[in-house]
Amino acid sequence: MENLNQVEILLVEDNPRDAEMTLRALRKNHLTNKVLVVGDGEQALDYLYTRGKYAEQDYDCRPKIILLDLKLPKVDGKEVLCTIKSDPDKKMIPVIALTSSREERDIFETYQLGVNSYIVKPVDFDKFVEAVNEIGLYWLLLNQQ
Amino acid sequence: MNDLILKSVFPVRWIFKSIQRLLKPQGTEGLRMTHKNRIWFSAVFLVLTAGAVSSGRPLNVIPDTVYIASEPDYPPYCFVNEEGEAAGFSMDLFRAAAAAAGLQVRIKIGIWSKIKQDLAEGRLDALPLVGRTPEREELFDFTMPYLSLHGAVFVRKGTKDINSIGDLKEKSIVVMRGDNAEEFVRRENVSNEIVTTNTFEEAFIALANGHHNAVITQRIMGIELLQTMGIKNVVPLDFHLPEFRQDFCFAVRKGDDRLLSLLNEGLSVIIANKTYEQIRNEWFGPAVKDQIMFKDILRYLLFILVPILIIIAAGAIVFFRKEVKKQTRELKREIAGHKQTLKALQVSEEKYRGMIKNLMEGFYCVSFDGVLLDYNTEFIRILKLDPDKDHTGIKLPDFWQNPDDRKAYLDEIQKKGFIRNYEIKAKTAAGEPIVVTASSRVVKDDKDDSVRIEGSFLDITDRKKALEELYKLKDDLAITVGRRTAELEEKVQKLDKSEKAMLYMVEDLNELAAELQEERCKLLASNQELEAFTYSVSHDLRAPLRAVDGYSKFLLEDYGDKLDTEGKRFIRVIHENAAKMDRLILDLLNLSRISRVDMNLKQADMRKIAESVFHEITSDGEKEAFQFSVEKMPPVVCDTALIKQVWQNLIGNAIKYSSRSEIKKIEIGAEQKDHEIIFFIRDRGAGFDKKYAGKLFGIFQRLHSEEEFPGTGVGLAIVKRIVQRHGGRVWAGGETNRGAVFYFTLPLQQNQGLYKLECQNGKSEPG
Repeated sequence: MENLNQVEILLVEDNPRDAEMTLRALRKNHLTNKVLVVGDGEQALDYLYTRGKYAEQDYDCRPKIILLDLKLPKVDGKEVLCTIKSDPDKKMIPVIALTSSREERDIFETYQLGVNSYIVKPVDFDKFVEAVNEIGLYWLLLNQQ
Repeated sequence: MNDLILKSVFPVRWIFKSIQRLLKPQGTEGLRMTHKNRIWFSAVFLVLTAGAVSSGRPLNVIPDTVYIASEPDYPPYCFVNEEGEAAGFSMDLFRAAAAAAGLQVRIKIGIWSKIKQDLAEGRLDALPLVGRTPEREELFDFTMPYLSLHGAVFVRKGTKDINSIGDLKEKSIVVMRGDNAEEFVRRENVSNEIVTTNTFEEAFIALANGHHNAVITQRIMGIELLQTMGIKNVVPLDFHLPEFRQDFCFAVRKGDDRLLSLLNEGLSVIIANKTYEQIRNEWFGPAVKDQIMFKDILRYLLFILVPILIIIAAGAIVFFRKEVKKQTRELKREIAGHKQTLKALQVSEEKYRGMIKNLMEGFYCVSFDGVLLDYNTEFIRILKLDPDKDHTGIKLPDFWQNPDDRKAYLDEIQKKGFIRNYEIKAKTAAGEPIVVTASSRVVKDDKDDSVRIEGSFLDITDRKKALEELYKLKDDLAITVGRRTAELEEKVQKLDKSEKAMLYMVEDLNELAAELQEERCKLLASNQELEAFTYSVSHDLRAPLRAVDGYSKFLLEDYGDKLDTEGKRFIRVIHENAAKMDRLILDLLNLSRISRVDMNLKQADMRKIAESVFHEITSDGEKEAFQFSVEKMPPVVCDTALIKQVWQNLIGNAIKYSSRSEIKKIEIGAEQKDHEIIFFIRDRGAGFDKKYAGKLFGIFQRLHSEEEFPGTGVGLAIVKRIVQRHGGRVWAGGETNRGAVFYFTLPLQQNQGLYKLECQNGKSEPG
């Protein structure tokens, strides 16, 4: 069993291609921290609240950053965001929405729910790498604390 | 042991006699040694002896017997009486309090300074009379005070130079050793020369014999002692010693809390059950009342009662005389009153007669057989009788039109005793028919027999006639109203018919509205579907594209060294095509968004918008190369953001298609025509074949190759959609290689309407 205690970035992404590209983009930005990838909103919440497949495990269920796709199977990304941001214990964890949608409605709603940052995944991989660089800034801020 | 010694006082009395001779002050001739003196001397000796052998009781062990001591000479509080026993107010009080607390008391007698010492050292349990001072609180505990006494300065008669406590400073003063007074004079530093004696008797004897200047002690005790000793030339001074106020208490040894609380309890008990008051009365009690003799009472009676009787008799005579006068006066007044009433009655009768005479109703008084007994002026007038004649005695039945009516009238009045507003058909003396209403009643005599009828009547002939006419008019009116109502009903029926027709129309309209509503719902649903579709395109269509681009990039990064130039070119082509498809998707999304977005109409300055767009989308080189001119254009109401996009696409096209032409010139202008404003943009670029002008605005329609001029073919479709949403039209004109003109209109009607509205709100001035 992998050591869940070392998880620093929780990546919630249903598309394995996108997940792989995100990991590569993180590496290109020298973010080599331990990343846990989960495929839907339910698994993300299970991990954060030590239930389901993550139940009965002893680990610190507070990753330093959550990268969250909005369009997810089972539990939607916005629902996950809402749960985290209305929990006094979890709401301090920075959540960065990582999505293809540039719909104004999506951006507005996500910020209403308290997202810390909103990154639109561009088709051009080079631009994607630049966008992920923003996560590095969060990392710097976190390490300063 | 103490007990034993106390009992042995009397057998050894002879010893004290010799001591008393020793203590006798020098040069006090004739001073008698009283029995009491002798006793306290013996007591002094006794206590001195007892003190030597007493071992003292341990603290806070409840004693059955309490040992106390009395001073010999502090009357009337503590002293030794003729029988040689301790007596006084404080002594009795202590005995009573101790008895109330269930304690036996043994009493010794001794001089004050000695017994004080004995208490401090435990040879005694308590003292009955101790003034409470700060110095003594160090040595003893005190019960609640039962007595407060004030001190005084005693001097020889004729002493003039002591008027205040300050005058004592240079004087020789005497106090009893250990007394409050000594503590007081030393505490306050009253005098530079303080002499102490064993007792106050000694002190007073010395003062009386001309030694020293003053004795300080408690006032009452001092006076009492002087009286007892028969000393007349020593007196207390009037001024007070406020600092020498003494609260007297029972004192116990320091820390003997048990005894203290028992004594406090005893004191409370005797204060509550009046024993305290009784003891106080015994020592300081009220004076004896005088008896009043019977003779005295008789004398008082003679001297007081007889004059009172005489005064009462005189008063009664005066009162009765006054009463008779008053009664007489009242009788006279009454007689005068009666006379006045009689006169007033006469006046009143005349007044009422006059009133009846001048009454505006006919008044009559008639016997049962119809003979007139009395009448007034109006009676004559109504029945048209000769006013100059006396009509008393005429027969009234002659004035009825119908004699049977009179019979009915008489029956009713006899039955009821009266009639009211009874209508009678009568006739005048001349025989003219009249109508009157009569109100009458039967008058009875003392024996209750009916004697006559009195009453009044009104002539209502004219009123009756008017009423009849009114009825006739009313009938006429009813006929008219009936006719009019019929007419109205007819009209209402007609209206009903048209109302029904209207209702059918409304029903039709409702049906139409429902259909419209249904259509609207369908439209809403299809809009929602469209929205879902575009969202899906935005999200799902781009994900695989991203993978295509991303993974081709990975290939280049990870295996670039294994690819030749051609292989790398393929990857570049993949990348370019992915980018192009992304642009297409974004353009499509934009087109769809434009169709859905809510319009936000505002007044806009078209010239400013066009100029700012040109500056935004051109590079510095293009700005330099192009000749760009915008005419003045009429104000317009539109969605500024959307219209800005129209200009972006049109100006962008003009620049793009002029890029290969020699003349780089863009002209923008507008013209108002009929109900719309026509905007145009003209360039001298590549232009197009007129044949295909209709295809220009179709989606993905292009007239040039991608190599010639890049583009997605969505830009003009977006322009068309935006203009259509504003209610306008688009078209284009041009010639190959000569340039193109694009036109769009915005309806003036809508603009004017909105413009007017804004002016009313005071937001802008009409141009």
